[in-house]
Amino acid sequence: MQTWAIEAIGLQKRFGKVHAVRGLDLRIRRGEVFGLLGPNGAGKTTSLEMIEGLVRPDDGEIRILGLDWRKDGNEIRNRIGVQFQSTQLDDKIKVREALHLFGCYYRNPRSPEELLKLLQLEEKADAFQSTLSGGQRQRLALGLALVNKPEVVFLDEPTTGLDPQARQVLWGLVRHLREEGSTVLLTSHYMEEVEALCDRVGIMDHGQILQLGTPRELIGELNQPSFVEIEFRDAAPDVQAFAAHLGMPVEAKAQHWSIALGDPKRDLHRLMSSIEALDLPMQQLHVRRASLEDVFLHRTGRSLRE
Amino acid sequence: MNARIYFNQLRMGLKIFLRAPSAVFWLVGFPIAILLVLGTVLNDKVDDSIKLTWSYGATGAAVNAEDTALKLAMAERGLVVETMAPAAAEARWQLGKTPALLEGQDGKYTLRINTYYAPQGRQIHALVQQSFLIAQARARGVGELLPMPTTMTSPGGHRGGPYAAYLLPGLLGLNLLMMGLISVGMVDAAQRERGGYKRLATTPLPHHVYIAAQVSIRLIIAFSAAVMLLLAGAAVFGVYNQGSYLSFAALVLLGASCFICLGYALSSFMGGVDTYAGVSNLLLLPLMMLSGVYFAIDSAPLWLQHAVEILPLAPLVTALRAVFNDGASLGSIGPSLAILAAWTLAAFAVATKRFRWV
Repeated sequence: MQTWAIEAIGLQKRFGKVHAVRGLDLRIRRGEVFGLLGPNGAGKTTSLEMIEGLVRPDDGEIRILGLDWRKDGNEIRNRIGVQFQSTQLDDKIKVREALHLFGCYYRNPRSPEELLKLLQLEEKADAFQSTLSGGQRQRLALGLALVNKPEVVFLDEPTTGLDPQARQVLWGLVRHLREEGSTVLLTSHYMEEVEALCDRVGIMDHGQILQLGTPRELIGELNQPSFVEIEFRDAAPDVQAFAAHLGMPVEAKAQHWSIALGDPKRDLHRLMSSIEALDLPMQQLHVRRASLEDVFLHRTGRSLRE
Repeated sequence: MNARIYFNQLRMGLKIFLRAPSAVFWLVGFPIAILLVLGTVLNDKVDDSIKLTWSYGATGAAVNAEDTALKLAMAERGLVVETMAPAAAEARWQLGKTPALLEGQDGKYTLRINTYYAPQGRQIHALVQQSFLIAQARARGVGELLPMPTTMTSPGGHRGGPYAAYLLPGLLGLNLLMMGLISVGMVDAAQRERGGYKRLATTPLPHHVYIAAQVSIRLIIAFSAAVMLLLAGAAVFGVYNQGSYLSFAALVLLGASCFICLGYALSSFMGGVDTYAGVSNLLLLPLMMLSGVYFAIDSAPLWLQHAVEILPLAPLVTALRAVFNDGASLGSIGPSLAILAAWTLAAFAVATKRFRWV
């Protein structure tokens, strides 16, 4: 029988009056890349820290690779890798030294040379940790999480605060992990990151998973495959009148309107005739497919970044 | 396996320490710098004769028999007198440039002591009064007065070394305290607050191996700093350890252990680095001022002196001083050792009970 890589059942955690996690259920297969998506304060980090064995849940069961934290903590630690949002290393430690030092904590570490190559940090091997750029530092943090060839890797917001180029490099590393057959559990509040990397996604808010599935499934369940975005240069015309003529809901934010198309072919045609009939003074129009952001907005009534 | 982790951690910790010049300065250079500065400045004062200003009567230079007798008696007591006319003497007094002003007219004398110059002023006061009484006794033909024999030595009776000999053990004790409160406690608080410990908690690195390495690093630094301080004292001031080096090393080890445990224990109660910094300064400053690091504090109220004696720094400094200056054996400083050991055990118990990664 195949064991789950991660199995969490009915996790509960309170901090004083705050009920941070209320009944989290999660089963992640081996080799799967799973994303927990949610806004700040949704309980992602607390959930992750419970699964990583850092925070003891008030209630619920956790198994990592079929093992229990309470009995086999050290065995689990030898087989997982954890990356935090910021890894606090001494400023005056060199990249190669940090990789070597962390390596010696484990039974069977990768050599610093192999990791430097994987992380594309070879030319920074002898640089102090404090002199690295944000992206390089994040890659080093990932490298420290990979030092023991972990079967399960935890990444907490791996690309928060990075520029697009640095983000692409990190995405490449996560894809490489998947090819190697590692299980990855990552959190993020960038939906494009989760869409690009994850086999399955759990949308989290208020300490619970609201919806779970592949990105395609989640977006498909919306029944609103596409959106039309209209922008105006100056003040937008009366949105009520337009919506009435169109017979579809229009979401307006200042000079920006957004219209969900349930059936693109039919609805786009109706939209074009309304635009023509009311002679809408728009500056730009574009059509985009629905994203996880729309799924989140639909489920919670809030935007991810709020 | 654990031994390999321990040595890696130890080697890395020392390397990183040596790469941080400010840490090296505070833990190794600072006590040496203080020893050099204070040892030099205050030592000169001790050798110097004591000066005071004498304003002669309205005529300036007129000297009668009483004046001559007083001048002789003062010179015998090592007082150096600069004489000047009243107006000049008054101006000098008002500028605060003289510790004492002696005014005399027709055999009547008054003495003014500048309070800012205490305790030098008090000493001048006593010597001038003594000289005055002796001059009067001679004038009345009492015959020669004989002083009682006096010797100046350290409390253990071995030597009356220079001020640097008093200062050096005090600075060593203070250095161990600063290492415990700042380099151990502060780093512990920072590691916990910034998630350094949390990161380590996800690895199989055992607590005790990590802590053992951290403590070893501090002990190595403490002993290196002690050796450098002893070398500086010997080279610059010619002061040497009068006791056994083994006893001295044992005291350094006990003191370092005590303050390392105190650092861990204290930081386990603090929310973060900022709180820790505030509280540790609140403890460090009075301990530093009242524990007899720089001067004997016989002028402080008695209750305060007794209170300080049961805090850990004063017994350590007393014990170090007894060994270093008087060659005392560990057996003869039992009470100091007992207080220090009690603190160490209590702090160790609290630190081990309360230590946490997360």
